[in-house]
Amino acid sequence: MKVVTGVVGNDIHVVANRLIDISLEERGFEVFNLGVNTYLEEFMDAVIETDADVLLISSLNGEAEGWCRDLQILKSQYDFKDVTFMIGGNLGVGEMDPELLVPKFQGYGFDLVFHQTDLNEGLDQLEIFLKTRTKGNTDV
Amino acid sequence: MSSLLQREREIIVKNEYIDRFDFDEVEDFIKGASKDLFISHKFKTSSEMLVQPRGGFPTYDKVFQLYKEFKDANVDVLPLTIDSNTRLNDYASAKKMLALSEENDVDMLNGYPLVNHGYRTTRKMITHYNTPVSLRHGTPDARLLVETALASGIFEIEGGPITYLLPYSKNFPMDKAFLYWKYVERVCAKYSELNEPINRESFGPLSATLQAPAIVIVIQILEMLLSLEEGVKSFSVSFSQTGAMLQDIVSSNVIKKLSRKYADQFGHNDATINLVYHQWMGAFPYNKEYSDSLINTSTVIAAMVGADKIITKTRNEAFGIPTKEANALAVANVKYTLGMLKGVPQVSDEEEEENLTNEVDEILEAVFNDKADTLWRKVFNSIKKGYIDIPFSPHIINANEVITIRDPESNIRILKKGNLPISDKSFAFEQSKIKLAEGERVVDKIIKDIGIML
Repeated sequence: MKVVTGVVGNDIHVVANRLIDISLEERGFEVFNLGVNTYLEEFMDAVIETDADVLLISSLNGEAEGWCRDLQILKSQYDFKDVTFMIGGNLGVGEMDPELLVPKFQGYGFDLVFHQTDLNEGLDQLEIFLKTRTKGNTDV
Repeated sequence: MSSLLQREREIIVKNEYIDRFDFDEVEDFIKGASKDLFISHKFKTSSEMLVQPRGGFPTYDKVFQLYKEFKDANVDVLPLTIDSNTRLNDYASAKKMLALSEENDVDMLNGYPLVNHGYRTTRKMITHYNTPVSLRHGTPDARLLVETALASGIFEIEGGPITYLLPYSKNFPMDKAFLYWKYVERVCAKYSELNEPINRESFGPLSATLQAPAIVIVIQILEMLLSLEEGVKSFSVSFSQTGAMLQDIVSSNVIKKLSRKYADQFGHNDATINLVYHQWMGAFPYNKEYSDSLINTSTVIAAMVGADKIITKTRNEAFGIPTKEANALAVANVKYTLGMLKGVPQVSDEEEEENLTNEVDEILEAVFNDKADTLWRKVFNSIKKGYIDIPFSPHIINANEVITIRDPESNIRILKKGNLPISDKSFAFEQSKIKLAEGERVVDKIIKDIGIML
């Protein structure tokens, strides 16, 4: 499975990005890491170029919402129905209610949303999601 | 050659954000400047470890007050930390934020916008305190900043094309960084002929996250050589507390020995090399008493490694930029602790030192064997090839193949060597020290090892 990952917007928090990269490789994914300071359009281009199965965006500085609200528009221009869209990290500035944040980001077009969730927990969830998704496809 | 450099300098200082730059006047000022402004002179004449904090505020008045607090705490070297806009050559934003800071008494910048203040103003403050000042920034293109600093009486310049680029930037072009820093070295070298030498200092902490000593030392030596080859005569190599006392001592013994060896090998026998030790640069605990303990311990280690200068942290580190009072208190405490640490015993570990020496020699040999015609191009190619690879660098050119974790004694070891050109023997030594618990994921170990001081 191929994963494109990176940190969205003007966010340069590199440590978590490296840890995500290492974790994904440990789990057997083929990782295309665009690193910090990456814009939504660049993520889309990379997903197309690499024919990725998963786009995993992370954000730490709390500014993700402003950078991701156009995802639905960008998604509508391409055929991304086989791609899993995931975002995780610290998704709001200050203390935010995850009950509100998760549906908000789902509305922007993310299949999986993790706010202040442990890295391993988030990636476990991703693997479960991918398994059920593949199973669904074979049933069709 | 010098006239070409001078032509470039005249272009650099023609900038809408600064007043007319008078090179003749600046040269006269440096020629006649007090020896007390030169850290190179202080290194020569002082037998004690110099203590230097970090610090900088947007306005002239607040920096002036900060320096007064530091002087009252008996500081040896004053810092001037530069704001983030200036580091990115965005003088327009710096100007706007400076005006807002001056009008509203709120700090809208995380440092002193030196270019906007200008050298005529800043020099008044520097000469008033008559103490060496060290320029702390993080700027890939520091040409105008360094011209302004030197003209102000700031005679120590931190940074370099590798250490101020790979940990700080995602995609600033690295070849440009080498050439811009070459300019800085040449200007420092030129002024070094007028009075005491200008001191250049490299930034060893890098990304301050699980840095392998071999990589740190290789980069320190390369930046030193790039500086000395342009004529700089006084250079400080540095590294930060690793989190393992033994590894700090081993690193210091090896960096002292090898920086001298390579400087001499390249014909720079007349250059002075100093060692700077950074107190813990990783994440600090939120508990201020624990922070005090961490700072004290690192002061003890600095004495054991025989550093010529220590750069201090404060108990407020986890909470943001410290107040001038908290910052000065940290200086006073470090000075107090150092007072107890006269004549500390010399410690070494031959096996560790031999291995680290071999690793540094092996990487440097691969760098020097690159086919390029100049040293900076050899280094540039080596970084592209992953011969030099900084864990947790955000820069696109960095290979990001090397993975490091701590051994049971907290020493940082190379788990995955990527393209590092170290021998099988050296790598086997690293591997032999690593102990992962049954079923422990590497990434969990890394997270634990990064947060060792929390």
